[in-house]
Amino acid sequence: MAARIDFASLSLMDALDLAVLIEDEAKERYEEFAAQMDQHRTPDAAKFFRLMAVNEAKHGQELADRRSQLFGGVTPTVTRAMVFEVEAPDYDQARAFMSPRQAMKAALASEVKAHAFFVAALPSLKDAKVRALFEELRDEEVQHQALVKAELAKLPPDSGLSDDDFVDEPTAQ
Amino acid sequence: MSATMTTPGEFQAKDYKSDLKPIWCPGCGDYSVVQGIYRALAAVGRPPHEVAFISGIGCSSRIPGYTTAYGFNTVHGRALPIAQGIKLANPDLLVLAAGGDGDGFSIGGGHIAHLIRRNIDITYIVMDNQIYGLTKGQLSPTSQKGRTTCTSPYGSLENPVNPLLYVLAYGAGFVAQASPTDLAGMAATLEEAIRYPGFAFVNVQSPCVTYGEEAQQIKGLKAISESLSAIGHDPADRLAAMDLAQHYGEKLHLGVFYKNPEPPPTYDALIRERQAQLSQGALPKERILDLFIKK
Amino acid sequence: MRKDLVFGMAGSGGDGIVSAGDSLLQAASAEGYHGVMTKSFGSQIRGGESSCRVRISTDPVLNPGGNLDVAVALNWEDFLKFGAELPVAGTTVVIYEAATGVPENQIPLVGVTPLQVIAVPIAAMAKETAGTERAKNTVVLGLIAGWFGIGGEAVMKGISKKLAKKSQELVEANQKAFDAGVAFAKSHPLKADMTVVPSSSKGAVKLLTDGNDMCAAAALFAGCQFFGGYPITPSTEIMQFFTNHVWKYGGAVLQAEDEIAGIGAAVGASFAGKKSMTATSGPGLSLKSEMMGLASIAELPLVIVDVQRGGPSTGLPTKTEQSDLFAAAFSAHGDVIRPVLAPTSVADMFRTTVEAFNIAEYYQTPVIILSDQEIASRKETLDPIDTSTFKIINRLVPAGADLQDYKRFKQTENHISPISHPGMLGGTYLASGIEHVESGAPTNSGSVHQRMNDKRIKKLDPLKERKDLFEITGNPDAPLALVAWGSVAGVCREALQMAQAEGLDVKLMVPYLLYPVAEQTYRDFFASVQKGLVVEQSHLAQTFKVLRMHLDLPKGLQSLARSGANPFLPGEIVAALHHLLSELQRSHEGKLQPQE
Repeated sequence: MAARIDFASLSLMDALDLAVLIEDEAKERYEEFAAQMDQHRTPDAAKFFRLMAVNEAKHGQELADRRSQLFGGVTPTVTRAMVFEVEAPDYDQARAFMSPRQAMKAALASEVKAHAFFVAALPSLKDAKVRALFEELRDEEVQHQALVKAELAKLPPDSGLSDDDFVDEPTAQ
Repeated sequence: MSATMTTPGEFQAKDYKSDLKPIWCPGCGDYSVVQGIYRALAAVGRPPHEVAFISGIGCSSRIPGYTTAYGFNTVHGRALPIAQGIKLANPDLLVLAAGGDGDGFSIGGGHIAHLIRRNIDITYIVMDNQIYGLTKGQLSPTSQKGRTTCTSPYGSLENPVNPLLYVLAYGAGFVAQASPTDLAGMAATLEEAIRYPGFAFVNVQSPCVTYGEEAQQIKGLKAISESLSAIGHDPADRLAAMDLAQHYGEKLHLGVFYKNPEPPPTYDALIRERQAQLSQGALPKERILDLFIKK
Repeated sequence: MRKDLVFGMAGSGGDGIVSAGDSLLQAASAEGYHGVMTKSFGSQIRGGESSCRVRISTDPVLNPGGNLDVAVALNWEDFLKFGAELPVAGTTVVIYEAATGVPENQIPLVGVTPLQVIAVPIAAMAKETAGTERAKNTVVLGLIAGWFGIGGEAVMKGISKKLAKKSQELVEANQKAFDAGVAFAKSHPLKADMTVVPSSSKGAVKLLTDGNDMCAAAALFAGCQFFGGYPITPSTEIMQFFTNHVWKYGGAVLQAEDEIAGIGAAVGASFAGKKSMTATSGPGLSLKSEMMGLASIAELPLVIVDVQRGGPSTGLPTKTEQSDLFAAAFSAHGDVIRPVLAPTSVADMFRTTVEAFNIAEYYQTPVIILSDQEIASRKETLDPIDTSTFKIINRLVPAGADLQDYKRFKQTENHISPISHPGMLGGTYLASGIEHVESGAPTNSGSVHQRMNDKRIKKLDPLKERKDLFEITGNPDAPLALVAWGSVAGVCREALQMAQAEGLDVKLMVPYLLYPVAEQTYRDFFASVQKGLVVEQSHLAQTFKVLRMHLDLPKGLQSLARSGANPFLPGEIVAALHHLLSELQRSHEGKLQPQE
């Protein structure tokens, strides 16, 4: 069975490892989304998802560095099998011909989701250092949301038209 | 578990992901299904080259190519006959079969009953989206009555097949349902299905973003979904499972409907026994024609 | 004294005439004769008309023979249903059941005066000696032993062996019935001496089997480990033989839910790395065609046996025909070449089946064996086959460097790519019915499709150079020729001998490889031919048409074709050759003596 996270017994090392895995999952999903957009001729969204993947990777790396400073090469006890779409956008968020605005909204929804994850976990945490880390991660999600929102604001106003009204019919295979 | 299983943890989900880029529309439920399969396989821990993944024809049947297992994307409706040949020829393999609702319950609808009664150790995953997506939105065997599609412009006059009741009625030892609304649950269910020693069926409600109805998209599915374990269903209770399965289409029950608590021996295991028994004192193949000597 | 005798016997299923034929052939085989037995039935499961034809000879037997030397009718109604399958001529001795009430000078055979006609109270003799009319077939065996000298002791030895398990009384009752038949024969001698010359090879080891069992045995010998199929007459015995034995060799059989699943499972087993096969008849072949296309594009070895019967649709399920050549060569859509092989007898069914596996494995392709009802169900006595002279070919498996960045459909010089199978580390790939690039990844590229079609079609070219898949007999420069395959080939072999004995300059080609058409081999054969016949049991003359599709045939080459269940007789083919010869001579006459 897929292992569940036992928040009550989570150590700081576990929590850091978990955070790295969460970023890792999100990075992979954004890369996957970018590839989907390439495959479906949606270049602007692809570019944005690739940017998100880089951000997640960068964040993941920072966390990983912290982990190795504190705990060196100690074998982790948490695994990727415990992480299910925490910060990774749901597959349902992607659409062919999605606009950059829609892509950003998808990313925003993921940041909101991740924020909710840390908020929900806080009451179960016993270790003060872990709690501090989760609070920090929770707040970072708020910052990320603000960043995406700022990007959104830079976009020209939404025309209100749907791309689906212009594109070709799907092709039978 | 059999001794050939490797230690869990040796393989990661990404080890089962191939380099092929899916043709699926972004937003398709099948992306979650294949992700769920990667994770289930990683949890089971069989190396990719010991896995054979067989499919029919349809959008969902492209799935084996997106894994690093030995894949076989066959012809429409015939994933199961081919999968059973593979399992009988080499029972050591982990055999997965997959396809859509049309593949499994329309053109190939005659095969599932026979795999169930033979109890061959294969896990069959149907990605049920109530529509023919690959051919652009025709009526499928699981489309609701009254549904309008390009082949039912005035509404379908047919009742849909109930896949869950169908396989339960034929006596499948493991019957479950999953959905991309809960990836963790899907991965856990698929893993349990793979580990079940015998024929296992998982119906996955996997929305078609291009031709699916609004109510069958993720949001709609979430609204009608209910976890079987949360409502206290006992998976050993086949009649209760059938009772719940009747709500297919109105409710989305997720998890294990039925799991035979005492799995009978599988066909492939019985074959091995027979081979072992009969191999004693067999005529060498070079002398097979001696059987025709008349004295 | 005779060296060769053809018996034709008919009755209702309850008369046990086919089991009498079995006993006769077994006894003859035990006495060192060569023999062939064919059976033909009505459509009833039990109690319909049934017949058998047993040919016994001191020399190897080429076919079930032409006109009957001995006709046995347990009742006339059933005998007549077989028509041309049991032809009576002026050389035939007719033996029939006196209880039919038909006077000897009024038997219902229009336009023929048999050599001799004898009414025998067979049922009465059975009742009197064995206490039951059921022993009629044993009386018949006694009559045959008495008149023709075949199988005296050996017949009763066989029957005793079979019945001893039941009761000694039964054995004794049969012995009495048999003796009564012998006694009747002795007290009513034939006008001509028709006893068979004693065989010089008495006591030599002989095999006795039919085409279906031989096919299954050959498949086991070739290393076949999986059979997926569905019962269909007249092929089912292949599955039955296989399932009796394959488990011993670590293999398996699946009696599938339908014809499609049967071949599907076999395709799956081949993908899993095992030699596999399916067997069927016409209706099943129609259903399997999509899977045959899949095996071709996925380049999976597979042997498909089609035991032909009369078609289309249900047609004549219990009668032989050669009308599946088009279906074998051309069914399933797309540009594809599927090798088609045909045995001509039970004896060469072994070689043909082993060859089919070898070709399937070497070229990674489905191969069809076109058997037919006659070969499938006829029993032949055979000399032992030395299996050590047969080479077994296995598929080319990737190793070493092949497994670095493995490409399943890699372009190679001979277009054959090493094939991995699940379980092999480093060999994972996607097999598919969809067009694919070398790695197996799907594509819809026109240029790749062209290249891959090239690969799949060209890899089979060397097959066309295989001279050993053709049997050519007679004078290589002969102006007259015969072409025939399958069970009709045996008739033509005998016709060739008869025609040569009559001084005709004729040759015969028997192709074991029907498709792809080996153009050059035919061109070479036809080079000397001015007149000839393509002889086949197909109303549409499918063989003639397939040849014409691929070749410019000699102008004088004609088709001698008719529907199944209407066997050719060696004599009529010789007559047709005479006719061709006279046409040929007339045309030359004109040239030599120009009209003024």
